[in-house]
Amino acid sequence: MRELPRRDFLKLTASALLTAAAAALAAPAAWAEKFYREPPWRRKKPYWGFGVDIEKCIGCARCVDACKTENDVPREPFYFRTWVERYIIRKDNEIKIDAPNGGLDGYPPVADPETVAKSFFVPKLCNLCESSPCVQVCPVGATFKTEDGVVLIDKKYCIGCRYCIQACPYGTRYFHPVLQVADKCSVCYHRLKRGMVTACVEVCPTGARMVGDLSDPESNVTKFRENNKVQTLKANMGTEPKLVYKGLDKEVR
Amino acid sequence: MKDIEHLLRVAVIFLASITVFLVVRAVVKPESYGKIGRYRAEALDDSKALPVRYAGQKECGPCHKAQVKEKAGSSHSGVSCESCHGALAAHVAAPKGAKPAKPAEAEMRRFCLRCHEASVSKPAKFPVQDGTKHNPDMACGMCHKPHAPKI
Repeated sequence: MRELPRRDFLKLTASALLTAAAAALAAPAAWAEKFYREPPWRRKKPYWGFGVDIEKCIGCARCVDACKTENDVPREPFYFRTWVERYIIRKDNEIKIDAPNGGLDGYPPVADPETVAKSFFVPKLCNLCESSPCVQVCPVGATFKTEDGVVLIDKKYCIGCRYCIQACPYGTRYFHPVLQVADKCSVCYHRLKRGMVTACVEVCPTGARMVGDLSDPESNVTKFRENNKVQTLKANMGTEPKLVYKGLDKEVR
Repeated sequence: MKDIEHLLRVAVIFLASITVFLVVRAVVKPESYGKIGRYRAEALDDSKALPVRYAGQKECGPCHKAQVKEKAGSSHSGVSCESCHGALAAHVAAPKGAKPAKPAEAEMRRFCLRCHEASVSKPAKFPVQDGTKHNPDMACGMCHKPHAPKI
């Protein structure tokens, strides 16, 4: 083997380094794209988001009733696609959360109202996670995120293993007793596709709920996120929900 | 030859397993699986085809002009018709067939107070009444018209 003269070796190294530097400058590294945190609704249209204004919710549970009617959710008090929790935070920091029959039966009167520091209603539903734990754990690909950002269940393909139910950090899934498959809030996908709002939004008497297109800069949900201080549930889980709450208390789980 | 015989045996087992896997996969995999993402593309059509039960506010106006107009000018303007009258897509499809629900007079107090009962949990600005003190024996509709409740 021929020996490489020092001069040639230096020349070779320098030119290789220069070429690499020029290539990196010319095309911003393609792998960096993977870590680019641009919200997907900049590229995809439409992209559905949801907003809840806790300061407007009166706990009437019309949404719970409408959801059960629209989506054939069993009427028994433990199957819900959406439900409304009541939080009662006492002055001595005791916290009580209740949702009798998801809110459908009304809420019992609060005992000793003078000791209540604050109390409010929190409607719960699918959080529309951008990186959904439920989708990740499904062994057969029966639950998935659509191109417009909605997490759906393929009821014909679901094997009923219940992994997704225990994976959802928000407890928004249940096991359908008749169909024997997992079921969850679909943000009334069949209605959105027909240009309608979800059943819960339709019947909400105070406008506490809204559904809209995040890719549209003028949509109700985009404006709701811009004009208010909004928060998601369990941000520490890294699920990046597209359901945002206005007026969310730190005690809400 | 003897030296590589055991390697060949392993290679045959591997090839056979891969073939079995590919055959099973071709048989079991639904046709539309993977067309868009890691799911059956047909599942989207299934979800889209589900029936609609709530018709939406704009369907009511063409027939019930007076009621919709009365409500639009009242404090109940933000309450959609189906919020109180129930799901009405069937009624829109066949107006004579499916009739809208209407809270009966005896039921009215319970129904109205479901929203308007006083509670520490409700927003401060929301109009509420203590049902046990506010004319407990009368139906709400005797004074407040549901479509324009302010007296």
